[in-house]
Amino acid sequence: MSMIVTTDLSRTYNPDTIPVHALRGVTLTIGSGEFTAIVGPSGSGKTTLLNLIGGLDTPSGGRVLVGGTDMSRLSGNALIDFRKNHIGFVFQSYNLIPVLTAYENAEFVMLLQGRPEKERRERVRALLAAVGLEAHMDRRPSQLSGGQQQRVAVARALAPRPDFILADEPTANLDSHSAENLLDMMARLNGEEGTTFLFSTHDQRVIDRARRVITLVDGEVAEDVRR
Amino acid sequence: MGMLIRIAWRNIWRHKTRSFVVLGAISLGIWSLIFLLSFSRGLIYNLIDNSIRREIGHVQVEHENYRQKREIGYLVEESARKVALMAADPAVEAVTRRLLVSGMVSSARGARGVQIWGVEPGEEGRVSFIREKITEGDFLPEGHSPPLLISGRLASRLGIQMKSKVVLTFQDLDGHITAGAFRVAGLFDSGTTPFDEGTVMVRREDLLVLTGGAERDPAHQLVAVVVHPDSAAAVRDRLTAVMAGDKVTTYREVAPEIALYESQIGMSNMIMITIFMLALIFGIINTMLMAVLERVRELGMLMAIGMNRRKVFLMVVLETLFLGLTAMPAGLILVEVSLAFFGQTGIDLRTFSEGMREYGMSEVVYPDPATDIYLRVSLSVVATAFLGALYPAWKAVRLKPVDALTKI
Ligand SMILES: Nc1ncnc2c1ncn2[C@@H]1O[C@H](COP(=O)(O)OP(=O)(O)O)[C@@H](O)[C@H]1O
Ligand SMILES: [Mg+2]
Repeated sequence: MSMIVTTDLSRTYNPDTIPVHALRGVTLTIGSGEFTAIVGPSGSGKTTLLNLIGGLDTPSGGRVLVGGTDMSRLSGNALIDFRKNHIGFVFQSYNLIPVLTAYENAEFVMLLQGRPEKERRERVRALLAAVGLEAHMDRRPSQLSGGQQQRVAVARALAPRPDFILADEPTANLDSHSAENLLDMMARLNGEEGTTFLFSTHDQRVIDRARRVITLVDGEVAEDVRR
Repeated sequence: MGMLIRIAWRNIWRHKTRSFVVLGAISLGIWSLIFLLSFSRGLIYNLIDNSIRREIGHVQVEHENYRQKREIGYLVEESARKVALMAADPAVEAVTRRLLVSGMVSSARGARGVQIWGVEPGEEGRVSFIREKITEGDFLPEGHSPPLLISGRLASRLGIQMKSKVVLTFQDLDGHITAGAFRVAGLFDSGTTPFDEGTVMVRREDLLVLTGGAERDPAHQLVAVVVHPDSAAAVRDRLTAVMAGDKVTTYREVAPEIALYESQIGMSNMIMITIFMLALIFGIINTMLMAVLERVRELGMLMAIGMNRRKVFLMVVLETLFLGLTAMPAGLILVEVSLAFFGQTGIDLRTFSEGMREYGMSEVVYPDPATDIYLRVSLSVVATAFLGALYPAWKAVRLKPVDALTKI
């Protein structure tokens, strides 16, 4: 079943001054349960694509359907709510709220959704255990390593059981060991929870773990390989 | 909401130094504002109380022409009976009567024009503060020669001292010049130069011998102090009903400047609170704007993962309110401590006292916080913090997550 459908998606920055065609007609279908990497050189449009799919940015042309909902029809708080209820995000950095503990960070989106305390507690504890951080639940982000912070971010993204998780270069700031760890963990959770993962990277070891690799070059899909 | 409160509260402490500077500024602001307001109130009540307790009392009964003409003939007759009527009023604390004549006090060295008060020391001592202002001798003690109370200031001008003999010259009730010899039995210092230089006191009965007309039991002024200044008007109305022919007034009519001062307190309070709020609001806008701008990415992330604009707005507002609410108790504690201290010892303005004496004020001012001042200042701080939060909060919700996230 298709989770994400992009149709002839394009995005041009600064259309009135010096236009930058970051995406030029990307048509893609991402199915439920996929573990897919978007790869490509720097500037090829990976971030732009993920932002459009995540409803953080609006396309210049084409459209994005997420579970049948046309993202371009949502705006303002409706869009924020849609993200809250359907999409998990893991960013490259500045993922966590510095004044909250690992536990509170992981709990955050569930709290926004107004889930009951018991459900939150069980879910967050299980996830923090799954990402190997049960011993560090009460630490603030500044007391965690970069890899640990990203794992908290993954736990937070997964906690509310979103339709899919978007991760834009989640390993960019990590050493290779932590990067592989994080990816192994994501892959495992993808298997256990069945959550769809769509992540961008240009790290070869990360690419090796993906089951589908979509290569972007100059804002166009150059290659789409399933393994 | 619980989570928002937690985040907002912890956010305050992210930049400890900055927060402490802001908290310090707000609490010092609260402190100086309340202290200044209490001081100005103390100053004004000092002035009011001084003229009431020195001279005019809260409620006066006089002949209807006396206040304008000040002539000896405008008498209140049967004064003892009327004093008793006044004393019977439940709101009246003390009453005294005075026989007042204009005349001259002369010594071997010179002479001065003065107002001669013929008083009854027992009652006068309860109405005015003159007994407490005696620096030497006693308040018109009984003795062989008629006693006189004069200010130390005037005494030295006249080259006289305790026990010196002086002569008072004035017109009697029939319009004849009369004179009598008195002996200085006490020196006073009221703290008000014009009063000191223009007033001497003798016993009413001694003066009455010289003015004549004792059979009419005359006085020029019956003066009462009441339990609380607010009840003065009611006492006046009650007395007017029973004092046919005489005029009953309150301190507000006799000294309209006092009424003016009273209304000015409210005015100057408003002005000071407004100035304080303006200073505070710019400080808060500045601080919170800084706090928002340095967290652009974090705010972008929060909106990306599903925190809606209302919550982001609320978070910034809460953060600001918490700053204000943390500073408030600190400021109020400072206020309590300093008022406890200065409320006891007073603030000694002796350096300026020459000037203050001219205005009829005493040299030590006791800050006098109005009962509602804490509430008003506290509410102002909260309201200001809230207003100061609006612009930064609006800035925060206008961020687009994607722009915020890509900010370097
Ligand atoms: N906000 C922006 N304004 C202008 N140009 C941008 C902006 N964001 C990205 N671009 C440009 O769009 C192209 C694609 O960028 P991006 O999607 O960030 O690529 P990637 O994530 O693959 O490195 C690049 O040429 C980049 O310079
Ligand atoms: Mg990128």
